[in-house]
Amino acid sequence: MDRPRVAIFDFACCEGCQLQLYNLEEGLLDVLGLIEPVEWREAISDQSDSYDIAVIEGSITRKEDEERLKDIRKRAKVMIALGACATIGGVNKLKNQFDFGEVRRTVYGKDAEAPHLDTARVKAVHEVVPVEVKIHGCPIDHFEFGTILKSVLAGKTPSIPNYPVCVECKKKGNICRYEYNEVCLGPITRAGCGAKCPTGGFWCFGCRGLLDNPNVDAAKEVMDIYGKTVDDLSGRLLLFNNQS
Amino acid sequence: MLKVLDTAELGTWVEAIIKAHDVIGIQARADKFDFGPLAKVQDLRLDYDVSLNAPKRFFLLPDEKLFTFKKDEAKSAQAAEPFVLFGVHPYDLIALRQLDKLFEMDNPDVHYLSRRAKAIVVAVDVQKPSAHVFAGCLGFEHVEDSYDILLTKIGNEYLADAATAAGEKLIALGKGFTKADDTHLAARKKIWDENKQALRRHELKPNKAQITAQLEKSYDHKIWKEKARLCFSCGSCNLVCPTCYCFDVADRLNWDLASGERVRTWDGCMLEDFATVAGPHNFRNQREARYRHRYYRKGKYVPDKIGEFSCVGCGRCIGACVTHIANPVEVYNAIMEA
Ligand code: SF4
Ligand code: SF4
Ligand code: SF4
Ligand code: SF4
Ligand code: SF4
Repeated sequence: MDRPRVAIFDFACCEGCQLQLYNLEEGLLDVLGLIEPVEWREAISDQSDSYDIAVIEGSITRKEDEERLKDIRKRAKVMIALGACATIGGVNKLKNQFDFGEVRRTVYGKDAEAPHLDTARVKAVHEVVPVEVKIHGCPIDHFEFGTILKSVLAGKTPSIPNYPVCVECKKKGNICRYEYNEVCLGPITRAGCGAKCPTGGFWCFGCRGLLDNPNVDAAKEVMDIYGKTVDDLSGRLLLFNNQS
Repeated sequence: MLKVLDTAELGTWVEAIIKAHDVIGIQARADKFDFGPLAKVQDLRLDYDVSLNAPKRFFLLPDEKLFTFKKDEAKSAQAAEPFVLFGVHPYDLIALRQLDKLFEMDNPDVHYLSRRAKAIVVAVDVQKPSAHVFAGCLGFEHVEDSYDILLTKIGNEYLADAATAAGEKLIALGKGFTKADDTHLAARKKIWDENKQALRRHELKPNKAQITAQLEKSYDHKIWKEKARLCFSCGSCNLVCPTCYCFDVADRLNWDLASGERVRTWDGCMLEDFATVAGPHNFRNQREARYRHRYYRKGKYVPDKIGEFSCVGCGRCIGACVTHIANPVEVYNAIMEA
């Protein structure tokens, strides 16, 4: 079998997820033995290009990015969203909370009105085009990336958890942050990171996005047990799970 | 074999055990207690209330490699190492006894059973009840079998009851053990009776048989829906439970995409996809159906299978549930009112 052609494209992000790929270390050589990388970090140049797998990093923040993404989609058999910016919009979605004119003035000062600095509502990749595989996290976990890529290359459906971070947290045997009246997003956040934050003694920020069927109402309703308010919870949700 | 040891001599004995064996012992962890490798005797805390994690995790590992495979061959990854588990409370030992039965049934689980066979368990009667324990309501405050040694603190002494040859060998490592007499047994009986009352932080109204019988006709009780409204389906109540034993099995491929390893990891019936089968079809896709299932497992399905009530009253699920809906006592009391 020919090695599948794999292209990676960047949109609005910090490129930290791509950096995680280098953490595969020897695994990276294995990956390169199995795939043929094309378009590493470059925009589409040759209009006839097609890809077996297109990996999209970053969220979609401008009209022209939407067009570019749709074009990539047409040429890709499988589309993988890489990292929180791509899978859920990520931190970039904080912008959707504000008036865009104000956002531009804050960031660019007197140049704010320049046409090329136009901005739009931040979207995750699947809000623009269909996505076959989501690799969650901010940043992604390179081990999970490897597991998912192997599944895709073997023609299997990758298993991406639809259970909350609490499961991995309990497997680790951690003390729950709620024992200390801290608001942790673990019960509504998709697992897969190995409960990194609670294991390190912090609450979960929700970087892997919400579960398919999160009980956010329950989370709100129990805040007072912990001397917290619904606003405390909503504030935490804004960072990675702004639904606007 | 019954022996007595002055509490002042306990340290020297445990030190000798640590020298001769790998010991997993109960110790302080932040403001709680938990089992972990015991490096020095000073860390051992037999006066603990409840361990954060149930001891099942040393036999049914949270993540475990079952075997490695290549194209046409598989190689078992089974490798049980002997260890001493020091400081197990009676209700947790009863839970292990139940898991033993379950894993011996049908298709015996060599991975679990070989670890159990190699481990030496030193149980200890509860000295301080935890915030949510209700084992006393179930008769699980004390245990009379399944241990290698049972320690009971009686005043300034520990009564050491060695029930197996392995237990006797452990005792032989100590100096200063003297013979026990009937007064010690009477004192232990008194402690068991006291614990029956003390280990009741929640008062379960029905007895075990009544619960099992009542569940027969409680499938449509309103409590399932009422409580499940606040359920995250997070599985915490499953995973902290000493008698929950469900697991999932998956293959992890190597980069050649042909060889790899088969692993199993803890699973739980409260999780949304737990009952998803080919199709995909999920035969318990409602939160309330999953919520109900756990109480049926503990109160009826597993008891029907092994003849023992399958909630041991440790209270861990009560503390672990972030929304405070996982209390079996509340649920079983409520269904009695129909
Ligand atoms: S710390 Fe967070 S992730 Fe861990 S069990 Fe508690 S709520 Fe769940
Ligand atoms: S614990 Fe939460 S915030 Fe931390 S890595 Fe996991 S999903 Fe992200
Ligand atoms: S159901 Fe709850 S109280 Fe009963 S044994 Fe399990 S964790 Fe302990
Ligand atoms: S079915 Fe549910 S209650 Fe039972 S062992 Fe499995 S997870 Fe625990
Ligand atoms: S711990 Fe509570 S919220 Fe989580 S699954 Fe159990 S009952 Fe539901």
